[in-house]
Amino acid sequence: MTTRRTTLAILGATILASLQPLPLFAEEDAAAKAVEAAKAFAGTTINVAEEAGLMAMLGINVTGPEWERLTGIKVKVSELPYEELFTKQLLEHKAGSGAYDVLTIGHSWVADLVLAGALEPLDPLIEKYGVKEEFDDIVPAFREGTMYQGATYALAVDGDVHVLYYRKDIFEDPAMQEAFKAKYGYDLAPPTDYGKFNEVCQFITDQTGGKVYGAGLINTGYQHFFFGERFRLYGGKYFDEASMKAQINSEAGVRAVQEMVDALKCQPPGAATWGFGESLSALNSGEIAMTITWPPVARWAQGINADEQALSWVPESTVVDKIGYALTPGGHPSLVPGIQLALSSDSKNKDAAYLYMQWLTSKTESLKNVMRPIGLRDPFRYSHFDSPEFQALWPTAPNYLSVLREGDEKGYADFAVLETYKYTDTLARAVIAAIGGKDPKAALDEAAAQWDAITKQVGVDRQREAYKAWASRPSAYRM
Amino acid sequence: MAQASGNKGGRQDRGFAVALAAPAVLIMALFGLFPLLYSIVVSFQRLTLTASDTGFAGLANYVRLFEDGRFGLALAHTFAIAAVALPLQLGLGMALALHFLEDRPLKRLFVALLIIPTVVSPMVAGSMWRLMFDDRFGPINQMIGWLAGERVSILWAIDPRFAYPAIIICDVWQWTPFMFLILLAALSNVDHEQQEAAALDGASKWQIFCFVTLPAIMPIVSIALLIRSLDLLRIFDIVWQLTRGGPGTSTETISIYAYVRGFQEFDTSFVGALVVVLVIALSALLMAALRRLEVAR
Repeated sequence: MTTRRTTLAILGATILASLQPLPLFAEEDAAAKAVEAAKAFAGTTINVAEEAGLMAMLGINVTGPEWERLTGIKVKVSELPYEELFTKQLLEHKAGSGAYDVLTIGHSWVADLVLAGALEPLDPLIEKYGVKEEFDDIVPAFREGTMYQGATYALAVDGDVHVLYYRKDIFEDPAMQEAFKAKYGYDLAPPTDYGKFNEVCQFITDQTGGKVYGAGLINTGYQHFFFGERFRLYGGKYFDEASMKAQINSEAGVRAVQEMVDALKCQPPGAATWGFGESLSALNSGEIAMTITWPPVARWAQGINADEQALSWVPESTVVDKIGYALTPGGHPSLVPGIQLALSSDSKNKDAAYLYMQWLTSKTESLKNVMRPIGLRDPFRYSHFDSPEFQALWPTAPNYLSVLREGDEKGYADFAVLETYKYTDTLARAVIAAIGGKDPKAALDEAAAQWDAITKQVGVDRQREAYKAWASRPSAYRM
Repeated sequence: MAQASGNKGGRQDRGFAVALAAPAVLIMALFGLFPLLYSIVVSFQRLTLTASDTGFAGLANYVRLFEDGRFGLALAHTFAIAAVALPLQLGLGMALALHFLEDRPLKRLFVALLIIPTVVSPMVAGSMWRLMFDDRFGPINQMIGWLAGERVSILWAIDPRFAYPAIIICDVWQWTPFMFLILLAALSNVDHEQQEAAALDGASKWQIFCFVTLPAIMPIVSIALLIRSLDLLRIFDIVWQLTRGGPGTSTETISIYAYVRGFQEFDTSFVGALVVVLVIALSALLMAALRRLEVAR
């Protein structure tokens, strides 16, 4: 009996013990896995092509030395101006120089680079070293940008998105609010469409007598980005799929450009020549009440890490705690250019280079980088938006991150077909010509004719296939 | 025997001459002729940065070139700049040369100062003038504002009405001293006895200049004009720095057009066709000019 009772007790204890919750396995960490695997390649050197300036500085001053300390792999960063990134990297591939192991590319270049054989497919390396769950954390539009025909060719590293910055103190001023409502019949608030944007802009310029201008936009450079957002908001399609005739000169295109031209009336004199730097300077100096630009401006306008030597060129902010963030009018900001890292097919250190990419873009490392003042990296993972550390960076950071998240989820992906750079250069020139005084319709008609010539040269059927593949992405037209 | 020896000597002389000329000819062929021949070959292919098919394209690139409205416009823009800048440089250069022909106080210092723009790289000159024309920080608008009595906001780089004046001002600033130097040297060498004889015969200063001085310096003036014309037909740096060929393509010169198509869009074969057409056109123009100047002999 005793033996039986003892046996039962042991059995019961065993069953109970087996029912105890198992210790949870630690979640796999792509950064840690990359570091461990990379130690096997200690002593090698990898060459990384980076956009010149702050982007490259991150690799030169921070991540490169850190990676070498962790793995023994040396990182050599080559700086290239953004305008030359695509052509220089492709030319190096054509020349077979193997100058770069890691490439910096935009969404719109993927197809051309893949077809040229410049990019190494990453799926086998992800299978070998990666943590697939970490890809679910990336906002879909940025994940889409890394793919071509179902295969992965790049890793997202930057959540480029346009944001509407506005002066809260002006928008919340009761006198301004009252006067605005009396004039326009609706509340003074961050504009939800570009018609209202122009009205709010004009109102502020008039009301302050030009002491503060309603807006100061980027009116030179990257104009195809700004056009693309407005054009698609108005239902514009880049091509007629059947004929592949350009549609940028359609009603939607002309309306988009006309509104951009009209917006100049309420901007400071000379704003037609403004680029990124002028718009940033005017926002920080308090000269303008609104602008549309990239996410790092929020950190600079807030004066975060203002003592950082690398940011000494950023004008001192006079608007700390005065800047609000909102979706761009229309609610579908441009996700441009969508910087990502790719592995050169000419690399002689593919594993070592891939592991550096995996480490940089991993959940843990990328969070550090999107919070850093240098690097120009912006949040692109859900875990970035939810990070308590990031949300505590400044008082309105939670609002900033929530706007970025919504923008990333609703934004328009960059236009991407074959030889996209030819189309976008032509389009940007047309928009700048209109801003400079040319009739928008005439400027777009000329650009459309050039687009048709480019399409003919690329091959209508080839381009149709590429266009259909791009247009079928949810982030292309947001239907 | 003596004749045979003479023939042998002649052959040796010719051989020596060929040996002396060979390196120069070889270098010319390598660096001058080969790129041209290569451009001709490429112009019949389908070479682009991204194309995988680089096969024979026939005359397709030439057809595209002549169908492309931008090509004609780029030519027109180039000739327009040359047509305005060249006479201005000649006129101002001549005026300065005549002024400094006579002894003036601090003449050497002024001449040295005048030459400075010519030694500056055109890229630097373009950047400098872009800053000068800047709407916010540039002194040009500020000075015009002082004269006008109110703030002036001329957008030199992007307003089509002002982009050409900006380019021409910059080019004239940089290259008038070149014209001045050449003309000063030419004027200094004019035979004064002829001028004095004309003066004794009762000719006015203007008549002396038109009928004595000008004919005497005309060959040098022609060469100076030829050099500057060729430079202006290739103008790139100043325009690139000031307007990037914009707004739109409204100041796009033929060199900028070739650069954009060749080095931004990497339409290599198309630019090959463009180069061939330009070389033929400019060579014809140059030969005609040289024949007219009778310096080809």
